[in-house]
Amino acid sequence: MIVNRRQILAAGGALATATLIGRAHAAAEFKMGLLVTGSVAENGWNRLAYDALMTVKKKLGAKVSYVELQQDPASFESAFRDYASQGYQVILGNGFEFQDAAVTVAKDYPDSYFLISSSSIHQGKVIGINLDSSQPFYLMGVIAAKMGKSAGLIGGMQIPPISQAFGGFRNGALTTKPGFGIGRVYIGSFENEVAAKEAAISMIKQGVDFIVPDADAASLGVYLAVHEAGPQIKTFSVYTDYSKVAGKNILGTYIADYGAGIVRVVTGIKNGTSIPHSNVTFGLGDPDVIRFTYNDNAATPVPQDVRKYVDEVKSKIIAGQIKTMAG
Amino acid sequence: MEHFNLLVFLAVTLAAAWQTATPIIYAAVGEIFTERAGVLNIGIEGTMLIGAFVGFATTDLTGSLALGFTAAIAAGMLTGLLFACFTVTIKANQVVVGVALNLLGLGLTSFLFRTYFVHTGSGVPNMPAVHIPILSGLPFFGVALFQQNIIVYLSLAVAFLARFVLFSTSFGLTLRATGDHPEAVAITGRSVVLYRYGAIMIGSSLAALGGAFLTLADVNQFVEGMTDGRGFIALAVVVFSRWSPVGAFFVSLIFGLFYALQLELQAQPSLGIPYQALQAMPYILTILALVFVHNKQDAPRTLGVPYNKA
Amino acid sequence: MDDIDIRPPAPAKLYLYDISTSIRIRSLQRLRAIGFPIAAVLVALCAGAALLAINGFNALDVFTVMIGGVFRNIHSITEMLLIATPLILIGVGLCVAFRCSMWNIGAEGQYYAGAVAATFFGVHLNGLPAPLHIVLILAAGSIAGAAWAAIAGLLKIYFNASEIVTTIMLNYIATIATSYLVTGPMMEAGVTYPQSTELPHALRLPILLPHTRLHIGILIAIALAVIVQAFLFRSSAGYALRVVGINPHAARYAGISVRRSVVLAISISGALAGLAGAIQIAGVDFRLYQNISPGYGFTGIAVALLAYNRPIGAIFSGILFAVLSAGSVLMQMNSQVPQVLVFVIEGMVILSVVAFGALGMRAGRSAV
Repeated sequence: MIVNRRQILAAGGALATATLIGRAHAAAEFKMGLLVTGSVAENGWNRLAYDALMTVKKKLGAKVSYVELQQDPASFESAFRDYASQGYQVILGNGFEFQDAAVTVAKDYPDSYFLISSSSIHQGKVIGINLDSSQPFYLMGVIAAKMGKSAGLIGGMQIPPISQAFGGFRNGALTTKPGFGIGRVYIGSFENEVAAKEAAISMIKQGVDFIVPDADAASLGVYLAVHEAGPQIKTFSVYTDYSKVAGKNILGTYIADYGAGIVRVVTGIKNGTSIPHSNVTFGLGDPDVIRFTYNDNAATPVPQDVRKYVDEVKSKIIAGQIKTMAG
Repeated sequence: MEHFNLLVFLAVTLAAAWQTATPIIYAAVGEIFTERAGVLNIGIEGTMLIGAFVGFATTDLTGSLALGFTAAIAAGMLTGLLFACFTVTIKANQVVVGVALNLLGLGLTSFLFRTYFVHTGSGVPNMPAVHIPILSGLPFFGVALFQQNIIVYLSLAVAFLARFVLFSTSFGLTLRATGDHPEAVAITGRSVVLYRYGAIMIGSSLAALGGAFLTLADVNQFVEGMTDGRGFIALAVVVFSRWSPVGAFFVSLIFGLFYALQLELQAQPSLGIPYQALQAMPYILTILALVFVHNKQDAPRTLGVPYNKA
Repeated sequence: MDDIDIRPPAPAKLYLYDISTSIRIRSLQRLRAIGFPIAAVLVALCAGAALLAINGFNALDVFTVMIGGVFRNIHSITEMLLIATPLILIGVGLCVAFRCSMWNIGAEGQYYAGAVAATFFGVHLNGLPAPLHIVLILAAGSIAGAAWAAIAGLLKIYFNASEIVTTIMLNYIATIATSYLVTGPMMEAGVTYPQSTELPHALRLPILLPHTRLHIGILIAIALAVIVQAFLFRSSAGYALRVVGINPHAARYAGISVRRSVVLAISISGALAGLAGAIQIAGVDFRLYQNISPGYGFTGIAVALLAYNRPIGAIFSGILFAVLSAGSVLMQMNSQVPQVLVFVIEGMVILSVVAFGALGMRAGRSAV
């Protein structure tokens, strides 16, 4: 771990010199920067982007760097500018909140691409990249409605990627079984695992048997609660594989390999072969990026007939016959 | 939600309340020691974070929960030593040093976490729940009250132990006198400075233990800023409890209750209250608590005032 | 009730240890005013460097990248000054509160209150001429900040509720309320991301340097620092609140209304924090988000303390912390040192400031 960090440091030293000398020197190599708010050391949303950055480093041999900013929109613009002025060709702002700042800075730095997570923008070299989580959540909703009594959703904050995902779940469940009970709690934080855990516990005691979190690092609290409650409570692992925490309870795992998606986009940009002509959305039709798999080690694995039905729904979603976000 | 039932609701809420209150109980009981000796330490929020991180890092490294808790307590004592150095020996303003401690606690733990845990992000083993025989089998309340982990049970013991120490031992008597009449303590030949150092270090180690509870016995992961104001709420608990450890236990439970309640109410979609209104409840309650108990007479007389030898 | 009129200021400055005006004390004071802050910063930076070294970073390289990066061109300097603006404003305000021994830890919440009010009046009010409208926005922000702070002041004088705890709680309530507003009543129509409608272009603060974001806020901050310095040290109300800060009992005997001074002091600090929030909305953000402060309210405490509660000093300490903060982003970008190191340095600065202050106070006392 320490060795790893020293390697990054060595790279950092080189970059530092480059900063002081100016941008002319650094133009030759391919460089990608990442901006996040919060920390990449926590599981979840920022970790996805960090892993994506590391995949780009490994697969494309790019020089990479990241900054963990405070949640302060005023700082985004200068951070973009700092990267762009050092000749970074691709800068990923990990969240919709980076969109406005990227648009402003992009005017001054025509050589850089600005990728924005959870955004549907496409304006010059500012390109939105979206994981359509409402699609896998729709499948989860279908399964919950087929197998459960009622469901509870625990979100970090009310922001688009989360409310869209929950919307997908709701649509999936209610289309399958109209009147299916779905509760929702926003804990108001992406870090407060304690609150997430308490929210899950209280839902369980109120008779909810399917609980799905989308709360970044705090999600762990939900898996802990579900695990402690016993195998009759079911959940899905979201974004990251949590089967070590609640292997008996997790019926299926939604893994988002953001890295694969980002590498695909960045490779296109680097080689100039396929530069996106619109914003990019990854869905169930991109199995290298969005994967939904079953957990056969669960206490009650999803039965075959349900799987068959889910497969039908899935192909309808990919074909565009089901709009997961509708309503 | 059709299985909703008042008794279940009560039992669940009570269990959640105690669990949520536990770190606040430790921090508040600790702060009572400190304040009874005449020192106001508003740096317990930062101290709790340090305890949470050190406990987590140690357990992550060694795999031992016991070592994790021990290290957290030691780190708390060290933090207390630093605070005492500045406030008792140098006689710097206690509030300002407390503010600095909070910044340091947040900054240091986040810095170290980001430096050393970027590539892991793994959790640590969690403290198992202890089922108390017979009682844990009681309907409804058995699960709530008698299937918690040991640190939760200990919070009750610590509160009563603190009451015993403070009010029934000569150490406690002198400690309280240090806060009320430091000159008198000096006259009897005892060291005010030493007693204040001791009180601060007891307070800080309990706060750190409360912090470590979060990472080692509640959720098995460290998260930056995870204390989320609990240290400050503990400060209000101390005032509301009139500097009584057992009182602090029950006042903390009330806070825990409101905290648990807001999450349960959120899970009732039919209520239609914006979730933020519920989130703000514990903080509003803290202010109300201070308003309703505006007692000056119970406060240690020299609270916040550095002791100068005549 | 001790509502007797405040007396005119006494001729001598009132410090516990400079009632006598010996030259020795004067020079000691000068040392305190300039030497201590510099020494405090050096100690803190050394501590930061030690922390970096222990964890395998090259401290000298890191600091070079930081400082060199911030001053690499005009643009980067203006970005730094954008951070300095709220820090100076909040720091200046806190000088007033701290001088009166009101431990206002709630500048963060007061900043949010100011930003909310500014956004509200910027977005929902139409038909005013732009210059007047801008003044109104800034005034609204100041009043909101003052009111939010005054809650703590009033609870203090009527219920003896510790302002330390109440202001911290009011911070939480302000951020939660802001979150509610931008996800609910103030949320921009047709957008799913929690943010308010954007302020009209005409209401943006005038830009000082073309092609940069630097707006006139920095001038407002500097001007207010000078005005508040004059208020504290040249007006009777300022004198009164300093006396209350040093010794409320003596103040009461001198016929000063302690209650009035306490509420005034915390309201002024709240007004300046609220103004900082309003200026941030009208000058940089142009709309309200859930999170609009990277902890300016807390850094502001360090700003005031490093200035030893002198408003003019807060200009310099505000800039210093802005350099650290702007540099910290470059530091992580180029050396991968976590940006949160700044908090550690801030904490260290405060610790060394109080240590030097306490030691200097003793030196001053023994000189008398």
